[in-house]
Amino acid sequence: MNDFYNNAIGHWVVVVVAMALLLFVVLTATAYTVWFERVALGRIQRRPGPNRVGPAGLMQLAADGVKLAFKESFIPEKTDRVIYVLAPTIGVAAAFLAWVVIPIGLWYNVTYWIADVNVGILIIFAVSSLNVYAIVLGGYASNNKYSLLGGLRSAAQLISYEMSLGLALVPTFMIVGSLRLRDIVEYTVSWGPYHGPLPLIILTPIGFLIYVISATAETNRTPFDLPEAEQELIGGFLTEYSGLKFTMYYLAEYLNVITVSTLAVLLFFGGWYLWSVPPVLAFLIKVVIMIFVYIWLRGTFPRLRYDRLMRLGWKVLLPLAMANVVVTAIVLVAVS
Amino acid sequence: MAIAVFFVAAAVAVLGAVGVVSFHQPIRSVLSLVLVMLALSVIFLLLSAQFIFAVQIIIYAGAVMVLFVFVIALLGPARELGRGRLRYQGWLSGIFVLVMLGLMWTLLQGVQYRQPDKTDMNFFGTVQSIAIGLFTTYLYPFELTSIILLVAAIGAIYLSRKRIDDL
Repeated sequence: MNDFYNNAIGHWVVVVVAMALLLFVVLTATAYTVWFERVALGRIQRRPGPNRVGPAGLMQLAADGVKLAFKESFIPEKTDRVIYVLAPTIGVAAAFLAWVVIPIGLWYNVTYWIADVNVGILIIFAVSSLNVYAIVLGGYASNNKYSLLGGLRSAAQLISYEMSLGLALVPTFMIVGSLRLRDIVEYTVSWGPYHGPLPLIILTPIGFLIYVISATAETNRTPFDLPEAEQELIGGFLTEYSGLKFTMYYLAEYLNVITVSTLAVLLFFGGWYLWSVPPVLAFLIKVVIMIFVYIWLRGTFPRLRYDRLMRLGWKVLLPLAMANVVVTAIVLVAVS
Repeated sequence: MAIAVFFVAAAVAVLGAVGVVSFHQPIRSVLSLVLVMLALSVIFLLLSAQFIFAVQIIIYAGAVMVLFVFVIALLGPARELGRGRLRYQGWLSGIFVLVMLGLMWTLLQGVQYRQPDKTDMNFFGTVQSIAIGLFTTYLYPFELTSIILLVAAIGAIYLSRKRIDDL
């Protein structure tokens, strides 16, 4: 296997097959995340949720997909057509690109990844920071004041919360001493009789808290879904989008939910390590629980007012994240 | 392989730069500039500067250019006004291009390309190596830059503040 991987052509074959597999798995996972969210939200709100199409409503997404694909693809008048069409594709591309550096433990000692780079987590930040273009350009090109306002709100929100998102993870890097996601997952400790992998949430619980809040804001989900607040802005930047272009935004949003959940599992919950549970199963269970946490947040919290949102980002989360970095640094120096 | 990637990235960067100055809608100019930034980040990656690659995208494409888009979206989709040209503009720009090319040609004479001395490619360009440089050799300029940024932030707050008697 190793010889094959080091061979130039073999390497490319492996990478291309891995990418194709990943595309299939992630797309399917996205479809069933939507189903999972609709069912879970239904239960939270004491209604059945989708249950008509196929067993337990599992085919609902296929039906919705067909419906959306056959809808008229509408482009409003007097818009910048190129940018109007380009915007949703940027969103999907950015959402998929993050998966290039995400490692997945398949079996004991077998880990899957496309690229195992030294700056893994920074690359995820880099591509997810491109996501804001999808929303701002979509809002701008729709030639609609509600879309524009949604896009502008989103730009301000994403830039504000990106800072605390980045700073929330700094203590993790300081403890592990690496930005490579595999190193963070395989971080092991020897505490007295215990020797083995350690979920980093034990060491940086505040970092995890800030991460969950900022990641919710970054993915534009309730209680931070200001860019598409339907009571104020109709559909925000989505107002003028329909058919496949709407589907692309939808896909990108749920893909991002899976990405941030997976990242939380990798960074804070020890990735694919869970006693002797088979790694891929452990990983799946943890990711599903994390996705459920996001759905739970959506089902229980009301939307923040815009000024509150900015205040929370700049005056609470950012100072807290900075204090977290400083305290972790002091503790690390004291321990060593 | 690396050479092919370099030429594609370089071509995209140059085309993007041409786009920045030749589009009439400001939003397209900004998007061309984003393209330039992304192409530059690929070139950084080819030079094994992984950290600079990621930071180039996060800072320039992800933050600075988003603010440009923000401002343009806020001011509306106005086209650039006036197509009036200066007298002799075409001739002058031709002369400038020639002078520029001449300067580049003279500068590139006698340049010799070689591998950097004793570089550990497992360490070069990583976060760790840049951090060591920033906090040892270049600590003073690094701290000085942060003071400049602080001054800029305070200045921005001062300029945009509301006076009490305005309220």
